[in-house]
Amino acid sequence: MDLGNVASLSLFYPEIVLAGTILVLTILDLVVANKRAMAYLGLAGCLVALGATVDLYGTEPTLLFHRMVALDNFSLFFKVVTLAALVGAIWMSIGSGEVRQVHLGEYYIVLLTCGFGMFFMASANNLLMAYLGLELVSLTSYILTGMLPHNRRSAEAALKYLIYGGVASGTMIYGMSWVFGMAGSLDYATINAAMAEGGGNQIALFMAFVFILAGFGYKMAFAPFHMWSPDVYQGAPTPFTGFLSVASNAAGVAILIRFFYPAVSTLGQEGAWAFQALPALQWTDLLVALSIITMTWGNLSALNQRNVKRLLAYSGIAHAGYIMMGLVVLNNDGLNAMLFYVVVYLIMNLGAFLVVMIVANATGREDMDAYRGLAWRGAAFPAVCMMVFLASLTGLPPMAGFIGKLLLVAAIIEGQFYVLAVVAMINTVVSLYYYWRIVKTMFLDEPAPEDGPVAATASAMPLLGALMVLTIVLGVYWAPLLDYTTGSLGFFMP
Amino acid sequence: MLTEALTTSALLFVIGTFGVLVRRNAIIMFLCIELQLNAVNLALVAFSRYVGVEGQVFVFFVMTVAAAEAAVGLAIIISIFRHYRTVNVDNFNLLKW
Amino acid sequence: MEIPIHVLVFYLVALVVVGSACIVAFSRNIVHSAFSLLGTFGGVAALYVFLGADFVAAVQVLIYVGGILVLILFAVMLTHRISDIDITNRTVGRIPGLVAGAVFLGILVYAIAGTDWAKAREVAFEPTTAAIGNLFLGEYLLPFQIAAVVLLVALIGAITLSRKEIKE
Repeated sequence: MDLGNVASLSLFYPEIVLAGTILVLTILDLVVANKRAMAYLGLAGCLVALGATVDLYGTEPTLLFHRMVALDNFSLFFKVVTLAALVGAIWMSIGSGEVRQVHLGEYYIVLLTCGFGMFFMASANNLLMAYLGLELVSLTSYILTGMLPHNRRSAEAALKYLIYGGVASGTMIYGMSWVFGMAGSLDYATINAAMAEGGGNQIALFMAFVFILAGFGYKMAFAPFHMWSPDVYQGAPTPFTGFLSVASNAAGVAILIRFFYPAVSTLGQEGAWAFQALPALQWTDLLVALSIITMTWGNLSALNQRNVKRLLAYSGIAHAGYIMMGLVVLNNDGLNAMLFYVVVYLIMNLGAFLVVMIVANATGREDMDAYRGLAWRGAAFPAVCMMVFLASLTGLPPMAGFIGKLLLVAAIIEGQFYVLAVVAMINTVVSLYYYWRIVKTMFLDEPAPEDGPVAATASAMPLLGALMVLTIVLGVYWAPLLDYTTGSLGFFMP
Repeated sequence: MLTEALTTSALLFVIGTFGVLVRRNAIIMFLCIELQLNAVNLALVAFSRYVGVEGQVFVFFVMTVAAAEAAVGLAIIISIFRHYRTVNVDNFNLLKW
Repeated sequence: MEIPIHVLVFYLVALVVVGSACIVAFSRNIVHSAFSLLGTFGGVAALYVFLGADFVAAVQVLIYVGGILVLILFAVMLTHRISDIDITNRTVGRIPGLVAGAVFLGILVYAIAGTDWAKAREVAFEPTTAAIGNLFLGEYLLPFQIAAVVLLVALIGAITLSRKEIKE
């Protein structure tokens, strides 16, 4: 189906709810003195939008607003992921000491707008929409990164983020302009038809795709477009860092899959995708190389980090590399594993950042020394949760991260990418070292005399418990989630 | 005229990219990004001469986003500048990679 | 061989664009860089006229020259005292960068020359303003609204970031 502007509105209510919440917050910010109410209102808006999104799931794939955005299970899946991350981030923000220093009204408005942009990254069916969605997310991310007042680290990180983001998106739209020149349209369906016809200049196509991949890869933070991530993770307020690490990554995955699969490839037999635009060049080899470089670089750089937020940034780069593995096999099994991993990563990484926030609230520090003997300083529950999240990030059974990694590795072994599988295994072993160094610090190291007791932030406890339970439960009973991701692979096919 | 316009655009793009890679001054890097965006706009307008007005519509959105980015960028520079009045200029380099 | 005058002018403008772009990227003086951007923006606007994009050319002058450039000059003047703020990163050396840039340019130009762009032919010049307006309020209505959100959030963000006092 293909709807016009007015007819589309009836299928657009999650976005309308979210946009409405943003506008209401903008106005309320001027009149309401108690800014904490803004957080609860934002939370409520997100939950209503979440309900609306779940309600739409399973609708017949439809193109809305003159083929600008696609409404299909794939986009709805990523909208659910975004909203879940938003709910988690707002909840974290309520208890965060760092966020208390910023202008709360503006903080929540910009945070929700960031999620709003991710909706369009996931559902764009037109190069212009993809660009606008990505830029909306980028702009809001720069603002949120630089929001901490009297904090040079934050302002500097924002400037770096802005400059590297500008370069990445400039490169991306240069690629898009070439695709427009070759296909004669911005619409994914027309591009697909032009690509299926073949016969384009291979070098021009290759350059265009590499440029576009650079822009998307920047959002996912994979090498060599990852330079921003350690600084931004460290400089930004922790709840936003948690949100950025999971949601920006997920949105990058979404926009990448939608462009390189339904838009320029064709779905063949049994879920295998044919990428026939570039017959002369080995596209998958490039992706394999990128994946290997990303995970290895991320893990090796994480080894000697003393700041936990920075360490998690490098671990995030490594995880972007793991997620990329699902891309190289060019079939639905790989994509399914990617979606599964996105959800698992959301849960465990948000949890890890929540513990970072709790420790920072109590001690004002983010370095490894603040974690010395954490379990014996009155924060046994956060310490145990952190251990669960880190075990899951490493990929140890029986945690959810193990199943996620297993699915990815199974997909690439089936696709006979043995080298990649071996590198992924080695990387997992390497990551064991730095993740477990934190666990060792928390449980085995003696607290120094100057380390005071850590009062755990009370409001964060329910969220922390829920995330920990989910991490364990999804590690032993993952079938419902797997069914959900399998069902979410329904694309609107041109 | 398409090839000439595209070549000009490619030149602009390469100069912009090269500038970002070799320069270290934040404002110059920002100017180089503007060069990149102008290269993109030039390519889009050149294509739209051949395949329809859609490309020109894209150009407007690129300009809008560029203006928004410039505003946010200036705000960030101002907030950094504020720190400089109180903090020694020499140790700007907090974050390294 | 007689070269038509408009082709000559086209090359002249292209030369201005590329030349001032070089000054922007390589000048040691930040004020020179910022002012040279004027040449690039203006030249690109002239090229738009050559390519039959009348409305885009007008908007280029208004937004880029009138808006963004002024904003950038503001930033330059304001931060004059710290005009050498460097951001720490590994930069590429000049010579390797130049070689890489030349190779990169070669690939791009080779690809441009070898591509049959959109298999379309040049259409006769027509005023574009009405067509663009119709697209904005028709097919491209959703992006038009999203652009409004982009501007709104940029406004809010810029004010928040540059506001002097934090809350009590």
